[in-house]
Amino acid sequence: MAPDGVALVTAVFLPFLAAPFVVPATRLLGERVAYPCGIVAAACFGLVASQFGAEGVVAFEWIPSLGVALRLYVDGLSLLVAFLASGVGVLVFVYSAGYLHGEGEQPRYYASLLVFMGSMLGLVLAADLITLFVFWELTSLSSFSLIGYYQRESDSQYGARKAMLVTVAGGLFLLVGFVVLYAVSGEALAEPTYALVTADGGGLLDNADAVRETLRDEGLLIPVLGLLAVGAGAKSAQVPLHVWLPNAMEAPTPVSAFLHSATMVKAGVYLVGRFRPLLGSPEWEALFVTLGLATMTVTAILAVAASDIKELLAYSTASHLGLIVAGFGFQSALGAETGSLHLLNHAMFKAALFLVAGIVAHEAGTRAIDDLGGLRHDLPITAGVTVVAALGMAGVPPFNGFYSKEFLFEAAVAFAEGAGGLAWLVPAVAVFGSVFTFLYSIRFLMLFFGDRPEGLGDVHRPPLSMLAPAGLLGVVALLLGLVPQVAVDLLIGRVFEGVSSTPGGGAAHRVATAGVAVPEAVPGVEAAAAEGEGFTVGLPTKLSPAVAMSAVTILAGLAAYPFYGRLRDGIRSVLAVGPTTVDWWYDNGVEGVETLGRRTIDVVQTGMVRTYATWAVGTFAALTLAGYLAAGIGFPAISGVGPGVTRPIVLVLLLAVVAGFAVDTSPSHVAGVLTLSILGFMIAIFYILMDAPDLALTQLLIETLVLVIFLLVLDQLPAFYGEIDRWIAVRDVAVSAVVGLTVFLTVAVSTAQTPDPDLPTYLADTAPVPETHGSIILEYGGGGNVVNVILVDFRAFDTLGEISVIAMAAISVLTLLGRRTVGGSE
Amino acid sequence: MTQILLATVLGTLFALGTFLVLRRDVVRVVWGIAIIGQSANLYLVTMGGLSGGAPIASHGAHGFAEQPTDPLVQALVLTAIVIGFGTTAFALVLTYRVYEEHGTIDTYKLGGEGS
Repeated sequence: MAPDGVALVTAVFLPFLAAPFVVPATRLLGERVAYPCGIVAAACFGLVASQFGAEGVVAFEWIPSLGVALRLYVDGLSLLVAFLASGVGVLVFVYSAGYLHGEGEQPRYYASLLVFMGSMLGLVLAADLITLFVFWELTSLSSFSLIGYYQRESDSQYGARKAMLVTVAGGLFLLVGFVVLYAVSGEALAEPTYALVTADGGGLLDNADAVRETLRDEGLLIPVLGLLAVGAGAKSAQVPLHVWLPNAMEAPTPVSAFLHSATMVKAGVYLVGRFRPLLGSPEWEALFVTLGLATMTVTAILAVAASDIKELLAYSTASHLGLIVAGFGFQSALGAETGSLHLLNHAMFKAALFLVAGIVAHEAGTRAIDDLGGLRHDLPITAGVTVVAALGMAGVPPFNGFYSKEFLFEAAVAFAEGAGGLAWLVPAVAVFGSVFTFLYSIRFLMLFFGDRPEGLGDVHRPPLSMLAPAGLLGVVALLLGLVPQVAVDLLIGRVFEGVSSTPGGGAAHRVATAGVAVPEAVPGVEAAAAEGEGFTVGLPTKLSPAVAMSAVTILAGLAAYPFYGRLRDGIRSVLAVGPTTVDWWYDNGVEGVETLGRRTIDVVQTGMVRTYATWAVGTFAALTLAGYLAAGIGFPAISGVGPGVTRPIVLVLLLAVVAGFAVDTSPSHVAGVLTLSILGFMIAIFYILMDAPDLALTQLLIETLVLVIFLLVLDQLPAFYGEIDRWIAVRDVAVSAVVGLTVFLTVAVSTAQTPDPDLPTYLADTAPVPETHGSIILEYGGGGNVVNVILVDFRAFDTLGEISVIAMAAISVLTLLGRRTVGGSE
Repeated sequence: MTQILLATVLGTLFALGTFLVLRRDVVRVVWGIAIIGQSANLYLVTMGGLSGGAPIASHGAHGFAEQPTDPLVQALVLTAIVIGFGTTAFALVLTYRVYEEHGTIDTYKLGGEGS
C-alpha cells in the first residue's frame, strides 16, 4: 500500500498550524487548553495510524533548483517513532493539564510542545537530508524553549543553554555529513541527490551499496560515520556528549517524559537506525558498538550516583539509548532486533517512569532520593505502574525490557564468537553495564517500598489527568512484556526490516559486510527468522549464553544491592573533583570561550576610531604586500616617457597633491574644507583632461554640493583641532607611509600591465562601424554617449542601486536631524 | 615615467587620507575618507588608459572621431562618485548629531578614554 501524501503532510504540519491558536484558545479556555492540544496530537496519531501498513515515499517540490524536496517516507521505523511522538504526545498533554495547574505562561508551553511534536513527526518521516536536518534543528529549538520553561531560574537557563549548545552543535556536524553524502552521491548515482528514498529508486538508501562503496573508495566512509555519530550522539546523549541530558531535567516533568525519554533523544538513535542499511560496515560496527556500550556503562554508573529521581532517570535514559545504539551497531540480525525492540520498550517504561517521577515530585514535594520511601501506601496505583516499568528497565523477565536485553546479549555473544579475541570484552561490558542498570532500577522501585522516612510530609493523591497517562503507559509496558510477539508481528518486525535492509527489498548486506556470520548454532532460542519476515521473541526455554548472562546480571545486582549506599558514595567521591566531574569539560570549555571573548573584545573593541582604522589599513597593506611577496612580483621596469601625460595633467596632479597636504596641515576646519574643495576641483579638471566629460560634470556638481554642506555643518560644530601628540604623530606618519607605499607599488605594478586588448579593440573595431556592433550603443541603447548608455541600459540595476543608496542616505540624514526633537535626551 | 608619476600621486594622496583618518577630530576623519574615496576613483579612471577621445559617438557621423577611452571605468566611477557623495553627506550629518548628543567631536572622548 502506498502512503497517502495528504495524510502525512497534514500529520506533520497540523501541530505547526495549531500552535499560533494556543494563545487565543487560552484566553477562551484557560488551563483546559491542554485538552484541545491533546486532540491535535490525537489527530496526528490517527493520521499516522491511517498509514499503518503503508510503505513508500511521497514527494512535494520545495527548492527544485537545489534538488531539495519535501519527501516523506513511511516504513516500519518511521511509523514506530511517529507513533511514539504523537501517542506519548496525547498522554503528555493530558498529564500537563494536571501537572502545570496554577503555573504561568502556559500558552508558550503548549505552543512549544505542539511545534516540537510537529518537528519530531517531520524528522522521522523525512526522506530528504535537508528536510530531515531542518526538522532536526527545530526539535532542538523547541526543546530549548521547553527546558527553559521556568525562565527566571538560573538552573533552567543553564540547562536550556547547555542542551541548545550541545544538540545544535551536533546538528551542524550532521549537516556537514549530509553535504558530504550529497557530494559523493553525485559519483555513485547518476546525479547528486539529498533524497534518501525516491519513488523511482534513485535515492541514497535505494543504492546503499553503490554509495557505500564510493564513500569507501574516496576515503570518506570514516569521516561521514564520525560526523553522523557526533550528530546522533549529541542528540541521543551518548558519551561524552551526555552531559546536557541531566540538566535538561530542569524542564517540567511531562516535557522530560516526552522529549528526553520517549521522543527527541530517540531522534539520534532513529538516525543511526535509518542510516544502518546505508553505511553498515565493519567500521560502523566498531564505532557504534563501542559508543553504545561505553554510554550504556558509564551513564548507568552515573545513574547509581544520582541523588535526584529525575537525574537518575536522565542518566538511565542515556544508558538505554546507548543500548539501542549498540544494538544498531551490531551488523548481525540480532543487533537490528535489539535496537528495534528496545526503541519501543524503552519509550514505554521510561515515559511511564518519568510520569511517575512527576507524580512523586508533585505530590510528595521533593525529588531527593534519600528523602523518599514507602510511597506504596500513599500512591498504590503509581506503585503498581512503577513495579512494571522499573522491572522492565532492570531487564527482569517477564517484563518488556528483558527481551531486548536478551537480544543485546545474544548479539554481543555472536559478535564475540565471530571476531574472537578482545571482542569477548563486548559481552562482558554489556553484562557489567547491565548490573548497574539493575541496581538503579531497583533503587527507583524502592522509593515505593520499605519505610517512610521521618521527614516526608503528607502525600496527596494525584489527579486523574496525571494518573491515567502513567497507568496507560504501564499497561502497555506490561502487555509488551507478557505478549511481546504481538508487538513484533504488528510493527517491530517491520522496523527490523527497515533498519536491516534497503527499501527496494534488496538483500540485506549486513552479515556479509560485517564479516561476522551469525552462526546457525547460536543456542539462543530467538534466532533470527528469515529475512524480511520479522522475527520471533519469547521467554527462553533452554539455557543459552544470553540466558546465563541475564541470570548473572540479576544475581550480581541482587548481591550488590545491599551495598548500594557504599557503591554510590564511592562513585560520587570519584566524580567529586577535577576532569572526572560530569560538567568539568563543558563548564570549563564554555567559560574559557567566554573569557577569551571578553579579553578579545577588550583588546579589539577599544571604542577608538583610530585603533580600528589602524588595524584595517594595516591589515590591508600587510596582506597586499605579502601577496606581492608570495607571488614574487617586483617593481616593474620603467622605460621612457609613457603615453598620454601632458603638461597640464602633470600640473593638475601636482596641484591636487599640494591641496592634499594643505588639508592635512590646515589649522582650521574652514581652511581644510576649502583646500579639500581645491583637491576635488583639481580631480574634476583631471577628468576633463582625461576625456571623461560625464565624470567631470558629476565631480563638479558634487564638489560644489559637498562644499556647501560642509560649510553648513561646520557652522554648527566647535572649532576643535586636536593638538597632535608627537609620538602619535610619528606613528600615524609611519602607518600612512606604509599605506602610501602599498598604493604606490600597486599602481605601478597594475599600470605596468597592458590591459586586455579585447576591450579597446572591441570598441575601436565595432563602435565606428554602425552596421555591426555600432548598432548596440546607438540603436539599441538609443544614445551616442557610451557612458550614459551603459549606466541607463546595460547596467540599469546598478544605477537603481546607486539611487537607492542616495535615497537611503537622504532618509538617514533626515532622521538624524529630525529625530532629535522627538527622542530629546538633552 | 607616466606610471611613476601616477603611482607617486596616488600613493601620496592615500597616505594623506590615511593620516587624516587617524586624527582625533571627527571632521578630519570624514575628510580623510573623502580623500581616499577620490583617490580610488582617480586610480580606476587611469586604469582605463590615459590616451583616447571621449567615448561619445555622434549620431550624424556614425562613430567616434578618434579612438575612445574605456567607457566602462567611467561608468563605474560615475556611480562611485555619487555614492561617495552620499556617504560623505551622511558622515557629516552623523558628526553633527554626535556633537549634539555628546557635546564633543573628539574621538578620544567619544571612545571613552579620558571622559
